[in-house]
Amino acid sequence: MNLSVTDTNTLALSAARARRNVIRMIAAGGSGHLGGAFSCLDMVTALYGRVLNIDPADVSNKDRDRFLLSAGHKALAQYSVLAVHNFFDESELDTYGSRGSHLPGHPDMHKLAGVEGNTGALGHGTAIATGMALAAKIDGRTYRVFTILGDGELPEGSNWEAFAAAAHHRLDNLVAVIDHNYFQISGSVAEVMNMHSIADKLRAFGWSVREIDGHDFDQIVAAFDDAPYEHGRPSAVVAHTIKGQGISSLAGRIESHYWQPSDAELADAVDEADALIGLLSERVAV
Amino acid sequence: MTRISRDPRKVFGAAVVAAADLDDQIVALSVDSGLSSGLGALRDKHPHRYLEFGIMEQAATGIASGLATAGKVPVLCAIAPFVTVRNYEMFRNDLGYMRQNVKIVGRNGGLNYSQLGPTHHSLEDFAITRMIPGVVVLAPQDCGEIEAAVTAMLNHVGPVYMRIGAGLIPDLFEDAPLVIGQGRLISAGSDVTVISTGQLTAGVIDAVQELEAQGISVEHIGLATVWPLDEQLILDSVRRTGRVVTVEEHYVYGGLGGAVAELLAAKHPAALAAIGVPHEFVSSGPYEEVLAHCGLDAASLIERIADFVRR
Repeated sequence: MNLSVTDTNTLALSAARARRNVIRMIAAGGSGHLGGAFSCLDMVTALYGRVLNIDPADVSNKDRDRFLLSAGHKALAQYSVLAVHNFFDESELDTYGSRGSHLPGHPDMHKLAGVEGNTGALGHGTAIATGMALAAKIDGRTYRVFTILGDGELPEGSNWEAFAAAAHHRLDNLVAVIDHNYFQISGSVAEVMNMHSIADKLRAFGWSVREIDGHDFDQIVAAFDDAPYEHGRPSAVVAHTIKGQGISSLAGRIESHYWQPSDAELADAVDEADALIGLLSERVAV
Repeated sequence: MTRISRDPRKVFGAAVVAAADLDDQIVALSVDSGLSSGLGALRDKHPHRYLEFGIMEQAATGIASGLATAGKVPVLCAIAPFVTVRNYEMFRNDLGYMRQNVKIVGRNGGLNYSQLGPTHHSLEDFAITRMIPGVVVLAPQDCGEIEAAVTAMLNHVGPVYMRIGAGLIPDLFEDAPLVIGQGRLISAGSDVTVISTGQLTAGVIDAVQELEAQGISVEHIGLATVWPLDEQLILDSVRRTGRVVTVEEHYVYGGLGGAVAELLAAKHPAALAAIGVPHEFVSSGPYEEVLAHCGLDAASLIERIADFVRR
């Protein structure tokens, strides 16, 4: 089922505000992992805006859905969306980069409500998410667990241990999203370590797989709402995305991976983000 | 003295199963290791809480973390190096940094798998696990302490590493609750403080008896908790004896000897002989012969401690 125009515009506006939050954090801290944050940000927006059963006022509820960012360096995406949904006061965004901030360079579950694990070292999130999903099965709870991995993270063997374990234990309450933005710090993922076909590999490990455009809200929401795709199998979403999506000078460019903007670049990014927020606000108002 | 000997793995497994009978949050994770860790009865009695992963220590550690976020109390037991060295980053980040209530148990610790060689030895496990902030490191010295340590680690909220051995080991002490961080005074003396841990303590007790017969008065402290150290017990003793020997089935660096050296350097400088495994990949062979090669058999301990006191 496709989203209504209003729903799509609402998600797009929410994502635009989140991207503006990311730029605000980078302005405060001076630099950050922008590229991967922006490639997965529309999906994180959809999760918190439409999919996850989680209440910012009750983040420890045992029946809440879990979202764990395996690619912890994309923390800016999660922080920005959590701020949009009032998990914390947005003034905290301006602490990014400062000592003792609740928004460290990689997420810390003991510092910020809504963060479910301390990721950042790659190849950890799928296993932790598997444990969360397994606990639900043991206890007969119906929550779902979502995790987002980067495509550059896939050569870590520990992921494949966890993929095998989740399938073996029939964790159909687990959804792993591969943010396939095609670039990592040294170059294209196909050149650095070619893991293609990601979908075929996951299917061979016992997962049920969909491929989507990770910036198309219809496809994103459908992929998340429909999971599990097969009873008794974990679900994987291979999301084709654009690194740095949302800042036209950076989109699709490896230089977006870690962004340390000049004042002029920052001003341009703010202008672009604000213009989009203005445009989408008018559409949503209509 | 005739001592009753028991298998630490069976004692450990039975203690976990008894606890799991009373607490349905306890789950055991097996990496093709549960049955040989004495946990077969858990699989039989509570099959949904016996979770098998095959030979997969890295992900199993992360999965334990995820289970703990939902209130489970996971116990992961396997051959010691595979749940300490192999999965170290998961131990550090997913259990330590995330402060998860997970219990990692390394069995056949130290040189126990003497015939299988260095791949199966764990001679750095104390060193690397105590480096993770918030991790408790246990090395019970007999089977009664293993039972008490299982209770203590399950009651403790937070990550714990426990090392146990294998084979038949003698019962040394009356049964008593184990308090994490508290050592025991095994025998009082005045010439030297000898601190031992793990199942090597049995041999140290024998060595101390012989040293006493030779006229050397030994204060013997046994530590079922390697980390955090029982600083008060150690410092009170060293202030009286002025000399310290540590004995452990671990490299001489970084483990009990290293921890005691750090304590003494900071709070009460004193002569220290750290007795442990030399810093090498130890050749395989029969356990007693390997122990003697490392200078950890009773005869070597008597000689080394006596030399240290008399020099």
